[in-house]
Amino acid sequence: MKLTEFIRDRLTAYLIYAITWALVLVFLIAFQVPAEAIIIVSILVLLGVTAAELWAFLRKKGYYDKLTSDLSQLDKKYLLSEMLDEPEFLDGRILYSTICEADKSMCEHIAEYRRESSDFREYIELWVHEIKLPVAGLQLMCHNDGNTRYSEQLRRIDEYIENVLYYARSGSAEKDYIIKPVLLKRIFGDVAVRNRGELQERGISLSTSDLEYEVMTDGKWLSFILGQLMSNSLKYEATEITVTGEDFADRTVLNFRDNGIGIPVSDLPHIFEKSFTGENGRTHTKSTGMGLYIVKKLCDRLGHAVEASSVQGEFTEIAIIFGRNELYRFE
Amino acid sequence: MKILIIEDDSALRDELALLLKNAGYETECVTDFASAVVQMKSSSADLILLDINLPEVNGETLLQDFRRQSSTPVIMLTSRTSELDEVLSMSYGADDFITKPYNPTILLLRISAVLKRSAKTGTSQTYHDAEVSTVKGSLTRGSSEQILTKNEMIIFQLLLDRIGEIVTRDELMTALWDNDEFVNDNALSVNISRLRGKLAELGYPDAIETRKKQGYVLK
Repeated sequence: MKLTEFIRDRLTAYLIYAITWALVLVFLIAFQVPAEAIIIVSILVLLGVTAAELWAFLRKKGYYDKLTSDLSQLDKKYLLSEMLDEPEFLDGRILYSTICEADKSMCEHIAEYRRESSDFREYIELWVHEIKLPVAGLQLMCHNDGNTRYSEQLRRIDEYIENVLYYARSGSAEKDYIIKPVLLKRIFGDVAVRNRGELQERGISLSTSDLEYEVMTDGKWLSFILGQLMSNSLKYEATEITVTGEDFADRTVLNFRDNGIGIPVSDLPHIFEKSFTGENGRTHTKSTGMGLYIVKKLCDRLGHAVEASSVQGEFTEIAIIFGRNELYRFE
Repeated sequence: MKILIIEDDSALRDELALLLKNAGYETECVTDFASAVVQMKSSSADLILLDINLPEVNGETLLQDFRRQSSTPVIMLTSRTSELDEVLSMSYGADDFITKPYNPTILLLRISAVLKRSAKTGTSQTYHDAEVSTVKGSLTRGSSEQILTKNEMIIFQLLLDRIGEIVTRDELMTALWDNDEFVNDNALSVNISRLRGKLAELGYPDAIETRKKQGYVLK
């Protein structure tokens, strides 16, 4: 709060003072009060008004300056009311009680939504575990009956179910992952085995090299992420998939490369955005634009970077970068 | 070999039992989960398949309880894809952890791997009068020795484990992929014909018989 701002705000009041004083002066002159007396009275009144205004300015300045600096330092602005003390002046008290009440209602509102969203998430998790039982049952029945006709469709159903589960997980505030050393080779092996049927049916060759590195991550989440990349390669006409690991002093990089149709340059910066389908999503298989979005969100939560490079008609390469934060090991 | 199945979904339990029966195992099912641990302890099973989500009890607690008294191998089955469950189960002494829905062939491979590990007494396997060394990756008969590649060894192992029975190409492929050998159809044929050649060198011609549209049988 600046003095100039305060004065500008009080300008009307000063105008009224000035007019009143002018009228008083006319009155005093009309009553032939001596000039000395008029000057002394004027100075006294001026001093009095100035002192009163200064006092009003200072008590407000102290309060509002603290308020604005608290507000700018707060990460969650709506917690402001927790930092404030009740002021002594009237308009401040009104403001204070208004802020408190508005905040309280806001917090209740948020809490309600949070509860609803966490209930929903819990239900999704539960539902996913339930739906997996009949899927597992059907898969066994197919195998026991020697009928492999349906297994590919069952695999697809399972993949879509996992999408829902990880979408729910990617947005939740709960920490439901465990970071521990995981061998890249083991995770990729799981993903490859799960997709073997479709890979072989389409004659896609798979080669890996240098996957003997351990990275700090959650195995299940990484397995889902790689599954998504694999499913994209399958969708976009790859015939060769190459997965390589690279180890640097401060990071390990997993490169997932295919020779599919690639991504147009104009689409490349947007592929991790929610619901972005781009040219490939329109001209090729129907795309929901969720796969890579979930991948990016999961990577963000796990603290991995993910980058894409591509030349249309030649290749697409997605790199997942695992930082080697030694702190993790001691946690 | 007898396997104890502790799974509350009855459809899944029955199919699982059928799968194992077809694969040549004896099975026993638990249906009263409150007394599951008693049955686990009194059972003469060689391996236990244990579901984590059970009514009345939690599979992990059950495992912890059971491990205090027995070292019978346990494979955990779950529909919860969470690293936490896996870490917990393994720390409580599970021998493997498989998430549903599982590939039946992989489940069988894992079961046989766990059984083999627990039965390991140091004696090496033999095929007729040849000695099989998985450590050296070799087959020795008298003074002649053949070195098998990793792929050939995986194939030979699977055929040997089920000697006299048909092993499908799909099963062989699954076993190879499960060991991070992402071979294609042609490579499998090449590997099998090389393996045949090596067996013939040792004096076992026509050891691997091809059953049209079914698979292979090791004689």
